Amino acid sequence: MDYTVLEVVIIFVAMAATFVLGSKYLKSTEISMALAGVVAIIFSTLHGWTTTPVKLLVEGLFTNMDLAMTFICATIFINIYSSSGAMTTITRNIVERINNKWLILICMGILMLIPGAITGAGSVSVFVLGTLVYSIVRFMGVSEKKATAFVFMFAIFSAACPPINLWTMLMTAQANMPYVGFELLLLLPIIIAGAFTILYCGWGSKRAPKEEILATLPEVNAKMYGFGGLVRVLLPLLTLVVLFVLTLVIPFSMPVLGLPLMFIICTVVAILCNPNKTSVKEYAKVISDTMEQVFPLVATVLSVGIMQNAMAASGVKGLIGTAFVLLPFVWIYALILIVGPFAQGSMSYGSAVVIGTPLIFMFNTAGMNVTVVCAALSLIFPIGDCLPPSRIVGRLVLEATDYKDTYTSFLKQIFVPCLVFGLLALIMLIKPAWFTFLA
Amino acid sequence: MKKELVLKLLIVFVTFALATVAGVAFHEHRHFKETVVVSEDFTEMRWLSDYCPQLKDTFADTPIFVFDSGVEGGSVLYCGGTHPYEPAPALSAFVLMENIKVEKGVVYVIPQCNYSATTMGVQGNAYPSYYTVKTEWGEKQYKIGERNTNPLDQWPDNFTYIHYPSKQAQAYNDLRNLNRCYPGRLDGTLTERVAWAITEFIDKEEIDLSIDCHEASIMYPVVSTYIAHDRAMDIAMMAAMDLTATSFDMKIEQSPKSLRGFTHREWGDYTDTLGVLMETAEPFIDRIVGPMTVDLMMTGQDRFLSYAGDKGLTYAKYDKENNYSWPMNVRVGRHLSGASKVIYYMNQFFPEKEVIASWPSYEELVEHDCGAFLHNPETSNPDRVFSF
Repeated sequence: MDYTVLEVVIIFVAMAATFVLGSKYLKSTEISMALAGVVAIIFSTLHGWTTTPVKLLVEGLFTNMDLAMTFICATIFINIYSSSGAMTTITRNIVERINNKWLILICMGILMLIPGAITGAGSVSVFVLGTLVYSIVRFMGVSEKKATAFVFMFAIFSAACPPINLWTMLMTAQANMPYVGFELLLLLPIIIAGAFTILYCGWGSKRAPKEEILATLPEVNAKMYGFGGLVRVLLPLLTLVVLFVLTLVIPFSMPVLGLPLMFIICTVVAILCNPNKTSVKEYAKVISDTMEQVFPLVATVLSVGIMQNAMAASGVKGLIGTAFVLLPFVWIYALILIVGPFAQGSMSYGSAVVIGTPLIFMFNTAGMNVTVVCAALSLIFPIGDCLPPSRIVGRLVLEATDYKDTYTSFLKQIFVPCLVFGLLALIMLIKPAWFTFLA
Repeated sequence: MKKELVLKLLIVFVTFALATVAGVAFHEHRHFKETVVVSEDFTEMRWLSDYCPQLKDTFADTPIFVFDSGVEGGSVLYCGGTHPYEPAPALSAFVLMENIKVEKGVVYVIPQCNYSATTMGVQGNAYPSYYTVKTEWGEKQYKIGERNTNPLDQWPDNFTYIHYPSKQAQAYNDLRNLNRCYPGRLDGTLTERVAWAITEFIDKEEIDLSIDCHEASIMYPVVSTYIAHDRAMDIAMMAAMDLTATSFDMKIEQSPKSLRGFTHREWGDYTDTLGVLMETAEPFIDRIVGPMTVDLMMTGQDRFLSYAGDKGLTYAKYDKENNYSWPMNVRVGRHLSGASKVIYYMNQFFPEKEVIASWPSYEELVEHDCGAFLHNPETSNPDRVFSF
């Protein structure tokens, strides 16, 4: 054992200090994360724990490359789709046809759940529907902050929602458990927390008159109306849904496309459905603007990869995991709503592997139903998608809603629904026997 | 303006320099060849592509070493490298191949089942690329690979993996995990094709007993365990009891029917072979260990994990008595004796399938270490030296 706990603690502190100072003086979370990783790798090299620091750095950079590509392709799709006026058309139709505020909010919540539930990524829900849902919720008289909270909450619900919950899948894969019996265990808390979120965001808001809302929406090409318009609006989204569903229903006849290519295919469909005379140069500008828009997020996921590799190389990952899983059960219950989300914020899906899997084994030893425990943890981790250093879904939501206030004010806004969601999961964790009938 | 241009050029230069240094390391790892000096009982080397021509000239093609006694008897397949981030199974295959003596029947060895996965390290986990084994004639270097197929050979992943043919949904990256892809598909992904080829090989050669070697984290309940297909339960149970009484602790579990894609389940369901998977303890792949060093991989000693051991949170012994360690020679030895014992009990239960073969035992590995059983390729008969 050629290290001491103190050495690893020092590296952890050095990483944290680098991140904080970098964020303050360089004004860049992404560069600060990468620098924190570099600091840890330098320490590891000086200690002789690694002989290939540059390889570690570059390897880390590629850890989340798939995620970055998905973000880029999804944003290109949604921006090209919006540029045709399709989003505005959908908004106009919903405002014109549905009069009940609560019904609209429920519909928006369910709509938001679908892309994330199918793909396992809340970010996809934000990309595909975030801006649309936000604008409709705003028209229901919901304040800017609460509408943003609405979008974020349903984005994380969508990620946790069955059939695809990546945290559960990763934990079951690590623990050699079948990915079976999770549907109701995941769905029920999401329904309860979702209902609460709708009430929390919609309570006290007053829907503006229909005419007033319609007057604020930009005019769209006349070809976006009628049956032809319906086809133009729905076809790109339907293409996406069909690709998702075919992947699940006829997996052995479908080639493996991957999310980036799926979004590219939908982009082509969106271009073909666009009634406006858009030149190649204009499309090129949309793509160029998209790259500018998505660049900070791509930088974030790549920097998180560097940090993940650096934390493993330097033992910081083990330090965090050990410090938590060695706690008595009562402390785990007391801290899981803090540690779980922050682990997600720093390690992304790695939280399920580093914290989740050892906890499953511990609860298994204590004779608790691990299916319920695994589901409970899978509901807790997504909350951390708004937390530093990565803040991936949180930042996406803020971009999708063009949020003007500070990030802290956003966190304050989502605190209550997040707490309700977390407490539901905590009850499942403390008393798994109560929920066994759902498994 | 000029200052900005200089800064941009500097960034480009640094990026290019880092990419070059890392690129060389990645290239070396991808093309690194491991060497084996096979024993005198070696008969021939085949390739997995002999059973699935679609694998030829890909990074998934992998050698199959045949040790045929020429005396009619049963047959055994010994597999390492299903998960190349667990290096002891592959090393045990190398030690076995360099020392095996076969008196009856035939023994097949696939040292690196998922060859593609040997060509990179685990992303986000800071794995070292190589480890070395000390011998009397110098050091011998081996690769530490990934759990899953290299994305350079199979990409992209779907958002979820649906196992063929059960349609069971599994984690997205298990699409590249060989031990979730059995029985495999000829027209599937590269990993599914490898799984199909191995299943086809077992079926075609009518292999009586197939052993898949793995390593597990010590906080994982199924560690130091045989996991056996229903038809192999008797021999594995006897082997576990025998080993526990005479040599080292070994548990036994029946392959669950609800978990699909595993060797211990699908080999037995889709062929007539007796399928057994063996797990040894490897602290290196535990989630809560300290710095990811070669030393940790070779000795299994870790301070953070020792706290878990003291608290009784590990499923394999990890205390002062074993010096908080699971060294490589112990892990390799367990696999070799574990395999010998299931073969012994197959011979007892099914005399018509008898295989008589020997290789270094657990006790010998513990006493002499791995290097004592590896031969110098430079001074060996070139006909018995293979690099792949």
